[in-house]
Amino acid sequence: MPGAAKTLHEIRDPIHIFVRLESSERAVVNSGPYQRLRYIHQLAMTYLVYPGASHSRFEHCLGVMELASRIFDVVTDQRTVHPNISGSIPLANSFEYKYWRRVLRMAALCHDLGHLPFSHAAEDMLPDKRTHEDITLDIIRGPEMAQIWKDILISAADVGKLAVGPKHYPKPLSDWETLLSEIIIGDAFGADRMDYLLRDSYHAGVSYGRFEHHRLIDTMRILPRQETDDVLLTLGIEQGGLQSAESLLWARYFMYTQLYFHPVRRIYDFHLKQFLMEWLPDGKFSLDLADHLRLTDTEVISAMRTAASDKSAPSHTPARRIMQREHFKRVAEITDADRDIDPDATELLSTELRDVFGPDAVFTDRYTQKGKGIRFPVLTRDGGIEWSTVLSATLKQVPTFTVEYVFVDPSYSGDAKRHVAVFRKKLQEKRGKSK
Amino acid sequence: MTAKDKFAVLLDLAAGLRNYGSWAGETHVQKATYILQTLLGVPTGFQFVLYKHGPFSFDLRESLSQMEADRLIELEEQPYPYGPKLAEGKAAPHLRASTQSAQDFRKQIAFVSQMLGNAGVADLERIATALFVTLDSAVAPEDRIQELVELKPHVQPAEAKVAFARLEEIRTSALNAGLRPDVNARR
Repeated sequence: MPGAAKTLHEIRDPIHIFVRLESSERAVVNSGPYQRLRYIHQLAMTYLVYPGASHSRFEHCLGVMELASRIFDVVTDQRTVHPNISGSIPLANSFEYKYWRRVLRMAALCHDLGHLPFSHAAEDMLPDKRTHEDITLDIIRGPEMAQIWKDILISAADVGKLAVGPKHYPKPLSDWETLLSEIIIGDAFGADRMDYLLRDSYHAGVSYGRFEHHRLIDTMRILPRQETDDVLLTLGIEQGGLQSAESLLWARYFMYTQLYFHPVRRIYDFHLKQFLMEWLPDGKFSLDLADHLRLTDTEVISAMRTAASDKSAPSHTPARRIMQREHFKRVAEITDADRDIDPDATELLSTELRDVFGPDAVFTDRYTQKGKGIRFPVLTRDGGIEWSTVLSATLKQVPTFTVEYVFVDPSYSGDAKRHVAVFRKKLQEKRGKSK
Repeated sequence: MTAKDKFAVLLDLAAGLRNYGSWAGETHVQKATYILQTLLGVPTGFQFVLYKHGPFSFDLRESLSQMEADRLIELEEQPYPYGPKLAEGKAAPHLRASTQSAQDFRKQIAFVSQMLGNAGVADLERIATALFVTLDSAVAPEDRIQELVELKPHVQPAEAKVAFARLEEIRTSALNAGLRPDVNARR
């Protein structure tokens, strides 16, 4: 209608082509807490290894909103809803349906508002075991967003529930709320996971993270699960989408091994934490909301650049290690085969190297993937329901990603490698004896 | 308690449940750990929230993932809608030999295994939720059955009453066995 105010807006996006948003959603995007996400790198300092990976949480959250509502539209379509649960799904165009669709989109948009500088890299530097989800909740329920929720008559609590999920929300969620939260942040194929795999692989310039997400979304279904007297709503897929789900879960595994846990990327996280320990007051992030909203990667990088050129700065050494690429070097990666010989191999090697080179010259990095998400219900072609891990031979083979690296100060790396060679020889001898 | 100590406790708890007839799926281990930690004070340190089948710990789920990666447990598939059985992995004996914690709490682990080993998922959901409600100081003792039914609408008031009675039996047995159930849960 000529002259009418525009209520639907578009943002160009390299992954989803267009992300469309309503005026109320644009108000969230224009808010201070959301604009801050422009300055929070999605993948911390991965851009120091993969130069293209300089994208931010800003566009990721837009992508999650886009995918979450596509999933919602598919799984609530009454033509495909499983007959055992059709009464639990709001009818399209009902008030309830429109309300929860709007809440879902807002929650998807806001789900990362609480991220600290450099995303996950230094999250354990929050006091009192708090997490970025706790801060996300504080922001959603805080004064900055209150007027937006009031204007569109949705509850901040409902947005918060779906954004952080049952693990982090302080009160129990209903089955329906849990399901909607799963659409955003679910382990198997939540919109968050889909978007970050596609987006991170695109920006890093690797192909590992790509999968057929259009097909996967089209086959997603809400399925009943009845283990007790209660019928639970669970996110699953039709059998025709199983290969797309397999490719997502393998994509995730490859992205972990090739990108997220690239050893140089990991050591920059370590040096970043060393820097922040010196630079932040009391060596911790503040829990004050205003302090949180003021601090982004930009402030940290600026301080790091200054410290790197000032030898008297307490944070000079870690700043220099990052800015001048004088990072610790990986001298060993302990594999499953090594752990088969001695489950304590990483500890033994690290202790030995610390004894020789000093405790500050050695860093041991251990991580095990949390939540593989390989087990989900599949609606079979004959109308039954079965676990994905029963139907798919390949899903059972997706390893739980685990990594154990040992790094040393670069000035000792040559000597350290010789120690590692001797250590490995002893390990092999041990294997020979045990045979 | 270190991560390894927790893993050792979980290994022994799953083994104990199996000895008493349970097929020891994740839900069984979740509820048994909740009772072990909350009622008997074994300091496994997991955070529990009220979830689909009652008290549930996402930290504990992550620990099970880690245990699978470390080959302490293996998952044996069950037909839908049941979750996988937790079987012992090949690295379990080494962990048992190198940690003390499970030994320190062997009486508590054996007690919980004996009390819950023959309980099905529905029973475990009700008993664990009854404990969750009991620990909520905002709920008066006379309102607990109603509260449980409101939290889990598929549970009938008569079933809720049985669950609270069973919880009381477990607490009394624990006291008689000298296991000192948690003081807050004794109200």
